Amino acid sequence: MTARGPDDHCITCGDLAVGMRIVRRDPATRLAWCSQAAPGDGSAAGGEWVDTELVGDVRPGDLVLVHAGAALARLGEGAA
Amino acid sequence: MRFVDEFRDPGLGRALAGEILATVEPGRHYKIMEVCGGHTHSIYKYGVDDLLPANVELVHGPGCPVCVIPMGRVDDGIALAHEPDVIFTCFGDMMRVPGSAGTLLDAKAEGADVRMVYSPLDALRIAKEHPDRPVIFYAIGFETTAPSTALTLKRAKAEGIGNFSCMCNHVTIVPPLRALLESPDLRLDGFIGPGHVATVVGGRPFEFIPAEHGRPVVISGFEPLDLLQSVQMLLRQLADGRCEVENQYARVVPYEGNPAALRVLAEVFELRPHFEWRGLGFISQSALRLADAYRELDAEVRYSVPGVRVADPKACQCGEVLKGVIKPWECKVFGSACTPEHAIGTCMVSPEGACAAYYNYGRFARDREVV
Repeated sequence: MTARGPDDHCITCGDLAVGMRIVRRDPATRLAWCSQAAPGDGSAAGGEWVDTELVGDVRPGDLVLVHAGAALARLGEGAA
Repeated sequence: MRFVDEFRDPGLGRALAGEILATVEPGRHYKIMEVCGGHTHSIYKYGVDDLLPANVELVHGPGCPVCVIPMGRVDDGIALAHEPDVIFTCFGDMMRVPGSAGTLLDAKAEGADVRMVYSPLDALRIAKEHPDRPVIFYAIGFETTAPSTALTLKRAKAEGIGNFSCMCNHVTIVPPLRALLESPDLRLDGFIGPGHVATVVGGRPFEFIPAEHGRPVVISGFEPLDLLQSVQMLLRQLADGRCEVENQYARVVPYEGNPAALRVLAEVFELRPHFEWRGLGFISQSALRLADAYRELDAEVRYSVPGVRVADPKACQCGEVLKGVIKPWECKVFGSACTPEHAIGTCMVSPEGACAAYYNYGRFARDREVV
């Protein structure tokens, strides 16, 4: 019933954000399809459309901090 | 898992616990408040408090947005959900929050079209899929969530999605902290600052806490070692006689926050003169509403809502819990009449609420054992 993160949090209600990787991005809408899986870790790739308006010109492969469908920050590798 | 294991390393945790033990002053009682519901959840999920000396007490502030929603605003949402043809959308936990006569889930059972969404963008997508029906998004959350709502409202306006509107319940973190600090029955030694709110607002909004109230703040991440290190940094400040805002979560939080997010918040929202917080009463300039340029997307303008203030149930002591005055288990109905399955108070609804965190992780004990 609730939008749960991997640790059984309510991501939105708990003010939690998760690190996600840009898979592809539409420059016209600034929406990007993002995956929760880190490359090569073998985990199943959950994904969602994310608004990247607030993090500038991100590209596929970049890691961003996502909360409630919006990317809030660009992350360095290992930061999430 | 990479990027997670290193922040959950038991050996490093024990080493930090040892440093904390060596830093505390024997005979002094330390009271530290975390103000983010995500921190509360992590503390009890990972047993962080079990690694702290008995004289370091963690108390839980008003940082879960679901927990601070007053019953009257829930009633207003339910009234909107019952409007003809409306598709009412909200985040998952919000659906279980009791109003004066039931929850949004009850409204759904009665026939209202209430749908859970993961983001405001999902609500906008539903509006595009159903152009013949009004779609209302019940917006809730602190500065972490408000940018997503703001971007979606900008998108709705730019694309002319006329059947989309928003009931805005976004709140801001600094005014309740001010109210808490001015409360005469509160004694705190420091604050664990909200990491993801700070991603948006940065560290500066918290500088009034050391400057005006003489309490240190450490902005913290959410893994167990983040929290232990933040406690250690707070205790170190106290031991050194320092009092400042420090950023433990620097790998994610820039001290200046996200200027683009702050700009979009300023464009789309304006401060409400006052807003009611559950258990804390009315707090001036503590919540957001849609700015004039976005008024046509404001559900409270489009529809008539009851807007009636509803008193909390007498048995519920969420207010005292949110102020850190009592522990959840000190509430008269904790774990008996009030459980996550049948919540009376909002703090028991969301897993990030202090009462639910205590209940779900078996914290019924009255005292912690000395480490």
